[in-house]
Amino acid sequence: MKSMKDSLALGASTPRAKGSADPLGVNSEIGRKLKQYYDELVSDDVPDRFAQLLSQLEAAETTRKGD
Amino acid sequence: MAVTPEFKRELLATIPSLRAFAVSLTQNSDKADDLVQETLVKAWDKHESFQMGTNLKAWLFTILRNEFYSQMRKRGREIQDSEGIMTERLAVHPSQHGKLDLADFRGALEQLPEDQREAIILIGASGFSYEEAAEICNCAVGTIKSRVSRARTRLQDILQITGEADYGPDAISSQVMGSNAA
Repeated sequence: MKSMKDSLALGASTPRAKGSADPLGVNSEIGRKLKQYYDELVSDDVPDRFAQLLSQLEAAETTRKGD
Repeated sequence: MAVTPEFKRELLATIPSLRAFAVSLTQNSDKADDLVQETLVKAWDKHESFQMGTNLKAWLFTILRNEFYSQMRKRGREIQDSEGIMTERLAVHPSQHGKLDLADFRGALEQLPEDQREAIILIGASGFSYEEAAEICNCAVGTIKSRVSRARTRLQDILQITGEADYGPDAISSQVMGSNAA
């Protein structure tokens, strides 16, 4: 099932032992890509609108309290 | 009781993760940001129901996910049944030496039904434990496990990754106390 080419491509020098313990871990191509995909999204710049939104919510709350 | 500065600070700090999860769910960055905005407003409104010191990220993810599904229902869109789709699979050929392109991976992820996609993201990328993911998705731990397992198999299929596809039931159950709890 598992050709040598595949093993090399996946960097799987320890074929199954580690992969079995954590199928989405660093030894798994899927696991690595998943983290790469997600980390890229997480490191995306956050638009100002969110900080502004929280400030607005905070200001609204202060106003309400003052009434 | 007013929102505390810590709550606001933590809310701000969680935004990058919330956006990443929202994009994973919606597959669209504009929709994702709207979803995050709704989530922040909801979280602010019901901040009193959050217990400081417990997992704010999980609490926020739960709100975001509920909001996502309630919006989908409002739009009249049927939530995809994980068994019922993907009769036709688009195979993506790894560019060379089995090394996957991130764009290929993104394309494959898009083809997963929502329930499988969110499960594999929560477990494999967001760093939640199976127990936390089950709570976020309001389902049993075993359900999360099987969704993650099906998602992984399906991604391997689409991406034509061989050699890591043959985990048996033992490998799956060994994930129970896996190393994702951090």
